[in-house]
Amino acid sequence: MSEAADVHINDVGVTFPDGPDGRPLEAIRKIDEHIEAGSFVSIVGPSGCGKSTLLSLVAGMQMPTRGEIVIGDRRVTAPDRSVGFVFQEESTLPWKTVEENVSFGLRLAGVDRSEQRRIAKEMLQLVGLAGFESAYPSELSGGMRQRVAIARTLALDPTVLLMDEPFGALDQQTRLLIGAEVRRIWRDTNKTVMFVTHDIQEAILLSEEVWVMSFRPAEVVDVIQIDLPPDRDSSVVGTERFNALFGRIWGTVQGEAMHAFHVLEEGAGEGDRHHSRT
Amino acid sequence: MRVTDITAVPEATELAGGRGSRRVWWSRLPPAGWTGVLLVAFIAFWQTSAVAGWVPAAIVPRFDEVVLAGIEEIEAGLFVENLASTVIATVAAHLVGSMVGLVVGVLFWRKESLGRMFEPYLVSFYAVPLVVFYPVALVVLGINDWPIIILSTVMAAIPMALNAWNGFAGIPPVYLRLADSLTASSRQTFFQVAIPAAAPLLYTGTMLAAIYALIGVVAMEFMVARNGLGSRIRYLYEAFDNPGMYFYIVSTLAVSILLVGLLNVLFRRAFPRVLAS
Repeated sequence: MSEAADVHINDVGVTFPDGPDGRPLEAIRKIDEHIEAGSFVSIVGPSGCGKSTLLSLVAGMQMPTRGEIVIGDRRVTAPDRSVGFVFQEESTLPWKTVEENVSFGLRLAGVDRSEQRRIAKEMLQLVGLAGFESAYPSELSGGMRQRVAIARTLALDPTVLLMDEPFGALDQQTRLLIGAEVRRIWRDTNKTVMFVTHDIQEAILLSEEVWVMSFRPAEVVDVIQIDLPPDRDSSVVGTERFNALFGRIWGTVQGEAMHAFHVLEEGAGEGDRHHSRT
Repeated sequence: MRVTDITAVPEATELAGGRGSRRVWWSRLPPAGWTGVLLVAFIAFWQTSAVAGWVPAAIVPRFDEVVLAGIEEIEAGLFVENLASTVIATVAAHLVGSMVGLVVGVLFWRKESLGRMFEPYLVSFYAVPLVVFYPVALVVLGINDWPIIILSTVMAAIPMALNAWNGFAGIPPVYLRLADSLTASSRQTFFQVAIPAAAPLLYTGTMLAAIYALIGVVAMEFMVARNGLGSRIRYLYEAFDNPGMYFYIVSTLAVSILLVGLLNVLFRRAFPRVLAS
């Protein structure tokens, strides 16, 4: 298994040449952060603030207009198999079996067929889907399909795992269960994880660190260390410390979400805001 | 107290237990068997109505006369010659038309502005019976197989292009982002993601292309041609040889069914799961 890599986001900014009104749109103003190898970082913020754009930049699927991203000692200039991506949308290929889906990335990489099967079996075991090798995605629940997507990403043994609202389409119970699975997998594999979510509770339960992003042009306005026990489960929800963390994150997100609401409502440009960082 | 003995209601027990084991023969018939039964029933109805005089012989001849006329055509070598001409022209038009349509579909998918620019023309051509250009093609290329093959190819290419374009444009964007994130090459993305994802509409496109190719070939053969099923139908019609004409009409129907059936089998073998889902 490959070593986890650290991620340096160095003074990164993104401006799209054509915004909705035809003028250039500054999506990300400046993000200058560092993620330790093997950390689990969640990113929360108002809708449309650029969280997914940030993940696309780290994945190399989009290039920043300013600054650079360095993973380990590699400057990101294009997608690389060492960076795995789990999408929010249904991304299992319906014409492939579970095993074929999991080994799809390996097949594209030209890995030997017997090795593909071995790794696929191992990954399906890891995500708790052993015995479903021959099933098709249409025969699985939404949560199981998302676990297939996670297994497919892990099969390439990435050093960094990017997850863009991977549980967005799942119901609350499934989210809790699969969230616990993801945290267990992270602890077993020790990958560096960047996890985008709208759910503050989910962010606190899963992560070591939570970044709160502002509305456009995005910046990281707060970084919160989650000092809950490493072997935590959903029983920490409602504890004094959990509530304090929730209150702090919600306090910042709420302000940004209200700002986003007013900006979108009035169709006005960005206003002056004072960002604090603790 | 009254105790109900369940063995006292033998009819009910027999009915419940017997339904699975005593199914009537026709409920066990596979779809192909049903096709056979319907065909035999249709031939029987045809023969009966012709013999009984329900339909004038000048309009529909007896089925046995049609069979005899067919045997004569086969023995004279005319059937194979005309069948081969039609099949070769149809297959050529279908193959080339499908490929051209696929390329146009891909081009319109990748270059959106090009698609928007040419869509109205493509849709208009879809609605126009292109056989109207046959006389022009005859003047340019002469009375041979080429005008028929070229125009039928265009007729086949149009439905293929429209369906391929819609199929590719309808691919969920996440599939392409997935391929991108897995560093798939353009070739891998096309053959391992785009083609299977667009397969249902490619299937529709290739089926329509085959049907349009056959319609084009037979229609143009019927107008002016040296040989082919359409040409033979017209010749026998003008010679008042009704049984012979009907033999070729039935043969054209058989070619159409076999062509569509063969494509169906090939496509289902190539993309078993895509079409099943």
